[in-house]
Amino acid sequence: MLKKNRIASFVDDRDGQFRVDRSIYLDDELFNAEMEFLFEGGWVYLAHESQIREPGDYFSTRIGRQPVFVVRKRDGGIAGHINACAHRGATLVPFEQGRANAFVCRFHGWSFNHDGRCIKIKGEETGAYPDGDPKERYPLTPIARLESYRGFIFASLKAEVPPLKEWLGPAHTWIDLLADQAPQGLEVVRGASTYTVLGNWKLQAENGADGYHVSTVHGVFAKTVANRQEKNKIDGMGKTEAGRMTGNVNSGSYHFGNGHLGVWAQHTTPQVRPSWRQKDRLDKEFAPERVEWMLNRGRNLFLFPNVFIMDNPSSQIRTLNPIAPGICEVTVRCVAPVGEAPDARAARMRKFEDFYLTSGMATSDDLAALEAVHTGGGARAARWNDFSRGMTAIRHGSEDADGAGIGLVPDLMTSNWDHEALYHGFYRVWKERLLAGAAA
Amino acid sequence: MSAVMNHHEARVATEDLIYREARLLDEKKWQDWLALYTEDALFWMPSWAGEYETISDPELELNLIYLKDRSHLEDRVFRLETGESFASVPMARTVHVVGGVTVDAVDNAEIRARASWIVHSYGIHGGITRGGWYEYTLRRGGDTLRIARKKITMIDDKLVGPVDFFHV
Repeated sequence: MLKKNRIASFVDDRDGQFRVDRSIYLDDELFNAEMEFLFEGGWVYLAHESQIREPGDYFSTRIGRQPVFVVRKRDGGIAGHINACAHRGATLVPFEQGRANAFVCRFHGWSFNHDGRCIKIKGEETGAYPDGDPKERYPLTPIARLESYRGFIFASLKAEVPPLKEWLGPAHTWIDLLADQAPQGLEVVRGASTYTVLGNWKLQAENGADGYHVSTVHGVFAKTVANRQEKNKIDGMGKTEAGRMTGNVNSGSYHFGNGHLGVWAQHTTPQVRPSWRQKDRLDKEFAPERVEWMLNRGRNLFLFPNVFIMDNPSSQIRTLNPIAPGICEVTVRCVAPVGEAPDARAARMRKFEDFYLTSGMATSDDLAALEAVHTGGGARAARWNDFSRGMTAIRHGSEDADGAGIGLVPDLMTSNWDHEALYHGFYRVWKERLLAGAAA
Repeated sequence: MSAVMNHHEARVATEDLIYREARLLDEKKWQDWLALYTEDALFWMPSWAGEYETISDPELELNLIYLKDRSHLEDRVFRLETGESFASVPMARTVHVVGGVTVDAVDNAEIRARASWIVHSYGIHGGITRGGWYEYTLRRGGDTLRIARKKITMIDDKLVGPVDFFHV
C-alpha cells in the first residue's frame, strides 16, 4: 500500500514554485489509491435527473471500479444500488439506460424491486434455506449516499461525507448560473459520445480547466473559423470563438475549494449564445452581475474528481471514468434547457459538434495534447510538471471582487485563465484526501 | 451517361464513385475528394443513443459529424492542411475497404445506394479498425455523378484517437 511519505513527495508545494511529479499519471499503486480514497471514498457525479424521468427508468455507470445504477422509483424518489446481484454477483442491468418494473438477474432469476429488496428467489421452496424468509437476507447493496443538486445527481459509496451542498461549496454558484437559464429545468439531449483517452484521468481534469493551452492548441480552430468567416462572410459565432482563442479577453481561473475548478472567458459576441434570447427574462429576474456571469462569460466547471459542466455557446456534461493509470473513458453529453426553441437548440448542437467531440475540430486536438503529456510523463529522468504560472497574482476568498457579485467566495483565484494557480488547489486536495486514506 | 439508367448501370456507376472516394481519402488527395461532392452536400455521422439505435433527428440531437454543405468539409480540409492540428500531426495512414454496394433506388435525378465499410488506420495509437455503413445519395447531372448526401453509421464507440472525415 502507498505510504504517506511517498504521496507527500508527489507534490512540490513551496513559495515561488508549484510542481507535481510526472509519475502521478503512470503509477499503478497510486491509481488504486485514487480509486479507493477519491472515487470510491467520497462524492462523485453520477447522472442527470432527466436521464431517469419515468418510474423504472434506470441509468447504469461506475463509481471508481464499482458498477452501480440509479433508478427512478414509483414515488418519484431515486434509489441507487451496486449493480451486482446479491446472490452471486452478476451485473443486473444489461443496458446503460432502460426501464424496468423489477430487476431480474439473468443468471439464476432472482428479482429485486426498485428499493433493492429481493422479491423473488427462483425455487425458494426447494432451496433448503435456513428458517425464515431468505429473501430478507439478500437486498442489493445501496449506494451509501445519493443527493441531487438542481438536477445533477451525486453519489458516495462512503456514508461519512458532508451534505452535498456543503461539499460543493462555492462551486454551486456556477451550477446555478447554468440551471437558472432553464426555468423548466435542464435536460440531457439524446445522443452521446465516449472517447477512450490514452492518458491519465487527471490530465483530462487539468485540460478542461486549462485556459493557457487555448491559444496554442485551438489556434488552428480559430484560424479555421476565421477562414470560414472570410469565405462565407459569416458573422457571429465565429467571432466569439476566434476572439476567445486569441486570448485578448477578460478571463479568470478558480479553485473553489474541495478540488473543484473553474475557468471563464468573456464572450466577444454573447448574442450568439443560445440562451441570449432569454436575456429580457434574466434581466428581470436576476441582478445585472449575475446576468453578466450567465450570458457574457463562457465557463468550464470541474467538480472533483469526475465531471465537467461546461456552459459556453454550447453546453456539456463530461464525465471521467478512469480504467487504468493510462486509460480514461470520457463521455460527453449536451445539457440544455427544457423547452428551448428549436433554432436555439440546433445552434447549440452544431457548436457542440464543431468543437467538443473527438470527431470535432478542437477536442480531438485537446486529447492529442494531453496524451502527449502522458507519453512525456514516461521520461522519468525529467521528473516535474510545473504549475507556477500566476503564482504572484493569487487572491483568496473575499479578495475576489468579481465573484462577490454572485456570492462566490473561492479558496483561490486569479483574474486570468492563462494562470495555473487553480491546480494548486486541485493537487493540495488530491494529496490531502490520499494522505487521509493511506497507511502511515 | 444516358438519362435512362438501368439498375445494373446505376450500380456500376455507384461503385466507381464510392471506390474512387475511398482511394482519394487513402491517398489524402483532399481537393480531388472535395470535388466529388455537390456544393450543397450533406455529410452526416450520427451518435449512438443506446446499444441498438443512433439518434434520429440530426437537427436537434447529437451527431458525431453533421455538416450541411461542402464548405464545412472544406473547413475540415483547411484545418488539416494548416499542419497545426495537434491531433493530425503526424496524420494516420488509412485503408478503406468498401463492399456490399447495393442500389436502392435510381431515377433521372438521383441514385440512392448503401455500402459497408471497414477502415483500418495506423498512427500514434497503433492499428485501429472501425466499421459501419454508408448511405449515399448521388446526384446525376449530364455526364457527372456527385455525392449529394453521405450518411455514415460507425458501429464503434469508446473511440481511441481522433475520428475525422478520412478515418471513416
